[in-house]
Amino acid sequence: MPRPSRDLHPGAWWLWALGLAAAATATTNPLLLVLLVAVTGFVVAMRRSDQPWSGSFRLYLLIGAVIVLVRVAFRAVLGGEATGQVLLDLPFVGLPGWASGVRLLGPITVDSVLAGFYDGLRLATIVICVGAANALANPKRLLKSMPPALYEIGTAVVVAVSVLPQLSDSLRRVRAARRLRGVPGGRIARLRGVVVPVMEDALERSMALAAGMDARGYGRSGELTRRQRRTTGVLMLTGLLGICVGTYGLLDGTAPRWLGPPLLAGGAALALLGFVSAGRRVQRTRYRPDRWAPPELLVALCGVAVAAGMYAVVGRDYTLVHPGIPGTPGVTLVSVLVVLVGVVPAFVAPPAPVTARAVAEEPPRRVAA
Amino acid sequence: MTTLSAAPARVPIRLRSAAVLTVASAAGLLMFCWPLLVRHPGDGQAQPPFFFIALLPVVILVVLAELSEGGIDSRALAMLGVLTAINAVMRGVSAGLGGFELVFFLLILAGRVFGPGFGFVLGCTSLFASALLTGGVGPWLPYQMLGSAWVGMGAGLLPRRLHGRREIAVLVGYGVLAAYAYGLLLNMSSWPFALGVSLPGHTGSVAFVPGDPLSGNLRRFWLYTLVTSTGSFDTGRAITNGLALVVLGPAVLTTLRRAVRRASITRVD
Amino acid sequence: MIELRRLSFAYDDSTPPVLHEADLTVTEGELLLVAGRTGTGKSTLLGSFTGLVPTFTGGLLTGDVVIDGRSVLADPPRERAHLVGYVGQDPSAGFVTDTVEEELAYGMEQLGTPPSTMRRRVEETLDLLGIADLRARDLRTLSGGQQQRVAIGSVLTMHPRVLVLDEPTSALDPTAAEEVLATLTRLVQDVGLGVVVAEHRLERVLPFADRMVLLDGAGGLLVGSPDELMRDSPVAPPIVELGRWADWEPLPLAVRDARRRASGLRSTLGHAPAASRAAGPVLLEAHGVRVGYGRILAVRDVSVGLHAGQVTALMGRNGSGKSSLLWALQGSRARAAGSVAVAGDDPAKVSAQERRRLAGLVPQTPADLLYLDTVEDELAAADRDSDRRPGHARSLLDQLAPDVPGRAHPRDLSEGQRLALVLAIVLSSDPPVVLLDEPTRGLDYPGKAALARILQGFADAGRAVLVSSHDVEFVAQVADRVVVLAEGEVVSSGPTARVVAESPAFAPQVLKVLGHGWLTVPQVEDAVREQLA
Repeated sequence: MPRPSRDLHPGAWWLWALGLAAAATATTNPLLLVLLVAVTGFVVAMRRSDQPWSGSFRLYLLIGAVIVLVRVAFRAVLGGEATGQVLLDLPFVGLPGWASGVRLLGPITVDSVLAGFYDGLRLATIVICVGAANALANPKRLLKSMPPALYEIGTAVVVAVSVLPQLSDSLRRVRAARRLRGVPGGRIARLRGVVVPVMEDALERSMALAAGMDARGYGRSGELTRRQRRTTGVLMLTGLLGICVGTYGLLDGTAPRWLGPPLLAGGAALALLGFVSAGRRVQRTRYRPDRWAPPELLVALCGVAVAAGMYAVVGRDYTLVHPGIPGTPGVTLVSVLVVLVGVVPAFVAPPAPVTARAVAEEPPRRVAA
Repeated sequence: MTTLSAAPARVPIRLRSAAVLTVASAAGLLMFCWPLLVRHPGDGQAQPPFFFIALLPVVILVVLAELSEGGIDSRALAMLGVLTAINAVMRGVSAGLGGFELVFFLLILAGRVFGPGFGFVLGCTSLFASALLTGGVGPWLPYQMLGSAWVGMGAGLLPRRLHGRREIAVLVGYGVLAAYAYGLLLNMSSWPFALGVSLPGHTGSVAFVPGDPLSGNLRRFWLYTLVTSTGSFDTGRAITNGLALVVLGPAVLTTLRRAVRRASITRVD
Repeated sequence: MIELRRLSFAYDDSTPPVLHEADLTVTEGELLLVAGRTGTGKSTLLGSFTGLVPTFTGGLLTGDVVIDGRSVLADPPRERAHLVGYVGQDPSAGFVTDTVEEELAYGMEQLGTPPSTMRRRVEETLDLLGIADLRARDLRTLSGGQQQRVAIGSVLTMHPRVLVLDEPTSALDPTAAEEVLATLTRLVQDVGLGVVVAEHRLERVLPFADRMVLLDGAGGLLVGSPDELMRDSPVAPPIVELGRWADWEPLPLAVRDARRRASGLRSTLGHAPAASRAAGPVLLEAHGVRVGYGRILAVRDVSVGLHAGQVTALMGRNGSGKSSLLWALQGSRARAAGSVAVAGDDPAKVSAQERRRLAGLVPQTPADLLYLDTVEDELAAADRDSDRRPGHARSLLDQLAPDVPGRAHPRDLSEGQRLALVLAIVLSSDPPVVLLDEPTRGLDYPGKAALARILQGFADAGRAVLVSSHDVEFVAQVADRVVVLAEGEVVSSGPTARVVAESPAFAPQVLKVLGHGWLTVPQVEDAVREQLA
């Protein structure tokens, strides 16, 4: 019996993808990275819907390939010193004047190519993982699942997305109307003749939209006590300060240990708490809220598991995840299994719904007629 | 009879919001310029901090939550939505014609008319909406969002009492500056990602060398950015935005200001 | 239940007040019609119920608005959302979500209603409005009438006490308008809602109204039953004008009442005289015109001829291809097949500049043509574009609409003034053929009569005029010939009296009452005066 199809909560897919991306940051072993890409591609192929955004995954694969190529090329051209076996012997090109001390080109060696390849592959894998999240998560549901603190911003983006077809209609109408006035002199007047009516139209509609939203109760925020608002403010401010200082401490290795990761993590936690606290004033309910059912949890856990597993492997076996440049990289069974955990969502998540081409009973309403 | 007049269609910035914006901007700046700050004594390989890609969105989201904390008025919201849509379309249209980028034109004008808070939020939402449109949310998005948000905010902080041609001239100057600064910042954050990290002690390339004195790294960075984008993309962006501001700036400013005027309220009890 | 007490409103101290000491009470279970000339403050009155005035419009508001004994004057619109529901003119401009179901639920989400209650109310509302089969449809794919019903439903789910609608049928064709009005009457009768409707096209709403409010333009309100107020109202549908002229007591508001009263008049009148306007030479000749959008054919094999000195009306449902045909005739839209000739030239094959001299078109949204900051600039640009001496367009505008201030921003003008401005711009190149796409939207009866006179003036001057409209009363006033389109094809074409008599959907009220080819009240008046003379 086929499983009922539904859209998974977009947050689950993003957590899974970010977990895989985090795992990718931990290693430069090309075999593991390629395995990650394969896992990602498999899950996308199995679980994507036929909505327009799902086709973007191929684009991401292309971008990944471009990243690798660019990285290798840059390494070769701007890389400077290199050791190892020479592939292509190009002369050094010195730069004149104040830029002296920097040399371009130079012999292209296997080592530099490989180093560029490994690094580029890591970056490409991260990008591809994010692309998988794009292809699998429904962006409209993502906008609707925004946390309460960001409700207004989310609504603005929703308004933007729904205004777009009206904008294109407006543009079409205005360009048609331009021809009725003949061809005024100068490209400036022509451009102005298109931009101004479209913008005026859009702004008028936005006012009508605002009136409609207000009349339907938008903007009712509950009364928070001053104490609650102050708590929110304090949490956010201290959290951000913690992040700020912690970032500096992390980057600057000469700073004391406590100034780095602990402060960063603490600051991030406080900021998120402030974020949650800011959402308390919102009184809205959701009509059909996206629930976190067991499949969602499982998918998210898989992502976390892959990331955690990879970092554990890094702790134990450094050379596995960062193979030296000469010599072939190897893999262990454990590391392969860790990556393969990421494939589980392909079977656990429900199949994506296929949209039937909706046949309208009446002819679509056209603005022109 | 009491008369109330409220500033309409703005995202107000109170003292607290200003503080949050400042601290967040400082954190953001650190995350942009991390190559210049990294110092790991004695370490061999320095890992690029990938988790900034996850941390920067947290910072941005917190700032957005703070700015919308008192609720955003429906008129400001509708205006935000419509301008985001127009911006997203402009970005989508111009991205395909490399070097011809219209990202900042409307952003700067809207920031000028509606204030720095609105400009900041518009920068974030425009980039996000355009990413949704083109089907691509990539790991570079948080950096672009913050960069654009700063451009919008900066436009709102320009001196108020400018009119006519001088206003346009100042805006054009700001636009050109912003285009180059944006390019520089983005290049700075992605510099090690593009070129990789040199082993310390190995100078002579344009790649980033961790632990080197600031001047050395800066010089290398300057060369790198000159070669890659300042000459091409950034100049293209500066030119197209400047041209757009000169050609269409006055008309768009009038349109936006009319919208603000119509929406201003005076309430009488 | 909802009261306005001594309400006064003015935009600022220098302009005359829009409302002055207005008193009005709306109770449940009644349909209240708000009428008046354009600019008398109908929208302001409606806005004061919801709180959009003064929050959205600015201005000074004094007096009180009381709902169930509690003053809500200081409450912004969102605090009144559960008491007063508001539906604007253009439903699609107010949609926030993608699908019908989510749109219905949006208001309840804002109010913090529990999800189970929301589910129940959405189902109830879908059934009540008869849109249950549209549940999952994308809002953009709905027809105008369906969109309007969804907009009504989206405020209905909040269970308000009063529903306020601002010109709900202005953008709809007659059948869709009837659907919406039937829905509203059912809400009043079955659900016991109070409904306040502002409308220009009184002929659609008058039969259903329980009470009426007439705005006199000086800030005052006249409240009473429709037949009382219609006796002296400056805006009146044709039946009421006929009744006033014929001294029928009480005034008939619906076609049925009028028909009963009219038997005497019918016998004295006999048959209507044939149209007297002679047709000049053919100015625009179109054969087999086909216009397509992708794979959809909007206009199929339409042949039409426009004669000098005649006004032709193009009628049909929304979506029947009227606009596409007009644009194809003017030449700005490419034809898939067929020929069009204006004075021998094919407008599609010449440059845009030349095309303006052959045929002028006023589009559905006239404001699309306006892009400069003042009326003066627009007129000057029109003079330059048509190579005329400066002041030519200005003189045209003064003939069409006197007293349009030159320094005003074009978008601040009233609907009628904007239309006149665009007409002046289009006519500045002196084309022999003039085409108009739905020009009557937003105009009241006197405004439409003025437009009809203008168009007839063009025809008398030797031009050929083609007007597309689904306002049957306007068509009866202005047109010599009517062409009816459906699904892109011509289904009927001929003199006005014959074509509009063929279908009750297109028949003007006077024809329904008197029959025998009588189209307008002035026609009847002239005939009786001649008989007496």
